[in-house]
Amino acid sequence: MSAADNILEIRGLCKSFGSTRANINIDFTLKRGEIKGLIGENGSGKSTLLSQIAGLYRSDAGEMTLNGKPYSPSSPLDANRAKIAMVMQELGVVEKLPVGINVYLGRLEQFSSRGAVNMKSLNGAVSRLFSEWNLPPMPPNAVVSGMMIEQRKIIELARALSVEPDILLLDEITQSLSLNNRNSLYALIRRLKDMGRSVIVITHDIDEMLAISDSITVLRDGEVVGDVKASEVTADEIRYMMVGRNISGDYYRADTAPDYAEEVVLTAEGLTVEGEIEDVSFQLHRGEILGFVGLSDSGIHSVGKAVFGLAKAGKGRVALGSGGEVKNTRDAIAGSMGYVPKDRDNEALMIHASIFHNATLPSLKEFRGPAGFLSPARLRKLSGDIVKKLSVKCTGIQQAMDALSGGNKQKVNLGRWLAKDLKVLVLDCPTRGVDVGVKGYIYELMKQAKAQGIAMILISDELTEALGMADRLIVMKDGRIVRTILRGEDFTERSIIEVMI
Amino acid sequence: MKKGVKLQTFVPFIAFAVIFLFFTVASKGKMVSSYNLKMLIDQSMVIIIVGCGALFVVAQGGIDLSVGVNLALSGVVGMWAATLTGLPFLLLPAALAVGAIVGLFNGVVVSKLKVPSFILTIAMLIGVRGMVHLIQTKIGAQYLPASLRILNEPYIKIPLFVAIVALMAFIFEFTRVGRFSQAMGENETVARYAGVPVARMRILAFVLSGLMAGAASIFSILTIGGTSQTMGSFTEMKVAMAIFLGGVLVTGGTSARIYKMLLGSFSITIIVNGLAIIGYPETQASESVQGVLLLLILLVAMAAASRDRRRGAPPCEEPSQTQEASSPPGR
Repeated sequence: MSAADNILEIRGLCKSFGSTRANINIDFTLKRGEIKGLIGENGSGKSTLLSQIAGLYRSDAGEMTLNGKPYSPSSPLDANRAKIAMVMQELGVVEKLPVGINVYLGRLEQFSSRGAVNMKSLNGAVSRLFSEWNLPPMPPNAVVSGMMIEQRKIIELARALSVEPDILLLDEITQSLSLNNRNSLYALIRRLKDMGRSVIVITHDIDEMLAISDSITVLRDGEVVGDVKASEVTADEIRYMMVGRNISGDYYRADTAPDYAEEVVLTAEGLTVEGEIEDVSFQLHRGEILGFVGLSDSGIHSVGKAVFGLAKAGKGRVALGSGGEVKNTRDAIAGSMGYVPKDRDNEALMIHASIFHNATLPSLKEFRGPAGFLSPARLRKLSGDIVKKLSVKCTGIQQAMDALSGGNKQKVNLGRWLAKDLKVLVLDCPTRGVDVGVKGYIYELMKQAKAQGIAMILISDELTEALGMADRLIVMKDGRIVRTILRGEDFTERSIIEVMI
Repeated sequence: MKKGVKLQTFVPFIAFAVIFLFFTVASKGKMVSSYNLKMLIDQSMVIIIVGCGALFVVAQGGIDLSVGVNLALSGVVGMWAATLTGLPFLLLPAALAVGAIVGLFNGVVVSKLKVPSFILTIAMLIGVRGMVHLIQTKIGAQYLPASLRILNEPYIKIPLFVAIVALMAFIFEFTRVGRFSQAMGENETVARYAGVPVARMRILAFVLSGLMAGAASIFSILTIGGTSQTMGSFTEMKVAMAIFLGGVLVTGGTSARIYKMLLGSFSITIIVNGLAIIGYPETQASESVQGVLLLLILLVAMAAASRDRRRGAPPCEEPSQTQEASSPPGR
C-alpha cells in the first residue's frame, strides 16, 4: 500500500487533562474507503482521539496529516470544512430547536438571505438528506425535546452526513439504536465505503466490530497496543489486547432452564400508553429476570417507564405483590422498586453533582431520623459502601459524576438501587456504553440480585444479552406483546427475530 | 487522577475577607466599632432571613423576586390587623400567614400552570406593590406598638434570629426537603425518576420563601419602628445578589448552600454599610459603587468557575458537554 492510499495519518499524538494522560504518542493510519474499528476499555482514550480528529480538542503534541497536507482543526466546524464529521457519545442536540435546525446548526447561512433562514428550503434539504441515506423519517419541524435517545442519535447522524464527510467518526452510536436501525446503519457504513469514504467506529460490542470493520486499532491506557485486520483476529484475542489479560467471553448465565419462585411480585394488567404501548399484561415473579425485546417502535422502553409509574396517562394498572398499586413513582419506590433508565446522563444521574449526592438520592427516605434528620455521616457511609462494593474508580465520594467514565457512572447508578432492600428492579439497557469488563460485572450483579430473590425486568436492545440473562422473554412489536418465550424452549435469536419483525 | 482544588469554593470567602478588610481600613476602624457591628447585624438580619427561604427556590433552579413586596405586604397587613383589633401581638401570626399565602400562590401557579418563576414573580413584584400602596394609604403611617418594643431588645431579637436561621439551615442541609430541592435544580427529570415529588417540593419551596419574607417583615418593623410605602423595596435584588455572591449558581442544585447565602449576605451588607461610613450614604453615589463592586466580584467568581472547568476537564473517555447554554434561566 502506498502512502497515497492513506487519507489520514497521525503521528505521536498526545493529549492530557490535568494530570490524566488520555492519549500517549498515538500513531494511527486510516486508508481511503476503510472502516476502522477503535476499541478499548472505558477510559482508554478512544473518544479523546476522535475528539481531536473532529476538532473538539487541541492536541498537546504530535501531528495529523489529511490527504498529505498538515491538518489541525481549530473547531468542529473547521473539521467539517475538511470533510470530517463526528457523532458523539454524549448527546449533542439542542433540546428546544426543531430537527431541521439541529441538522444544519452552525451552517445555516446556505439557507438564509439577509439574516432570515428560509425554513422551506432548509426542511426540503433535511428531508432529502433523510431519504438519501435511508434514515427513519421524522418531520423536520418537530422539536427535539421529548424525543427518545435513538431519534436524537439519528438527528446527530444526519447532521454528520450533511457535511458529506470523507471521514465519518461514530462514537458508540450503535448502543443507542435498536436492531432494525442498527442494520440500516451497517448498510449506511458499507455504502460510504463503496463511495471510497472512510469511517472510524467506536463500539464496545466486539462481535459487531469484527463484523463491520476492515481493521481494528486497540487502545489501552491511552496508548495503541495493537492494529489488526478484522478478518485475522478473534473476539477473545481482542479482549486480551484490551485488558492485557485473558477474560472469558461467556459472562451470561450458565443454566438453560427458567429458575424463579411461584410468588408473583408484580402484575401488569392492560397497560396502555397512547401511541406507545397497548394492552400490555404480564406477571413478574420473585427471583425472575423477565426480558423485553423488540424493534425501535415496539414500545419496550415505555413498558419500563409505565411499570415504574412514569407514564403520563393511560389505561391499565400495575399491582404489587404486597397488594399496593403503582400510580406514580413514589408508589413504586415505596413498593421497593428501582429503575435504571436507558438515558443514563439525562434521566438517571445528576451529572454535575457529586457521587455522594447521586448515590444517596433514592435512599433518603429510609435514612431519615427524628424530625426528618438525615445524618451526613450515615449518608457518607452509604455512598462510601456503594463505591467500595462496586469498586467504582474515583478520587472519593465528593468527585463530580461527569468526571467518571461511562462504566463507573453506571456502577454508581446500579449500586445506589442495589444498596436498597429491593423487590423489583427495572433495568433499561443496563450495559449501554460500558466496556466488557464492567459489562461482565453488571451481569454478575444481576445474578447475585436474582439469587437474593429480586425480580428484574430487563429491557434490552441486545438480543444476546436478553437471551443470556432472562428466564422469560417477552417479544414486542408495535406496542403489543407478540410472544412470550421461556428459557430453554426455543430460546434462540432466530426464533425471536422471526416474531419481532 | 488528582483531586483538583476548586478555586470557585474559595471565592466567596476571599471576597468577604477582602471587602471586610478594605472597609475596616478605609473607615479607619469605625466599621468594627461595637455600635456599627450591631448596625451591621441589624441590617443583615432581614437579608439573611429572606435568603433562608429564597434559597430553597434558587436550589430548585427557580427564583423568587416577589420576596421584597411580600415582605412589605406582610408588614402592612400585619400592622393593619394589629391596629384594627387592638391586639398588637396579632402582627406576628398575621405577617407570617400573609407571607406564606403569597408564597403558596406563587408555588401553585409555578408548579401547576408551569409559569416560569422568573416571570410570575416579576409580575407579583409589580402587582403586589400596588396593593401595599393601597393598604398603606388607607391605614396611614403606622408605628410599632409600645407593647411590642420589647421584641427589639437584643436579648430577644438575636436569639430569635439565630433560632430561625438554625431551623431553616437544618431543613435545608439536613432533611429531604433541602436535598430534594438541590436534586431538582441539578436535573428535574432525574429527581422525578428517583421519586422526588417535584410539584409538592416546588410549592413547599415557595411557601418557605414567603413565610420567611413574612418573618423578615416583623424584623424590619422592629428595626425601623413602623411600616412605609417603600418597605422591602429592592430587598429581592439584595437577597438574590447575596445568594449568587456567595457562590450559588443561577442553576441552583448542589451549589446552593446555607453558608454561602450567609457569607454573601454579610458581604453585601458590609458593602452598603461600609460605603455609608466612609462618606457615601445610600441613595447617593453609593448605589453606583455597589453595582460596580458586585459586578467585579461576580466576574472574579465566574473566571474562577471557568478555570475550574478547564482544569477539571473529565478524563479521556467522554468529552464533557456543558448543557448550561441550552437550559432556560430558571423555572
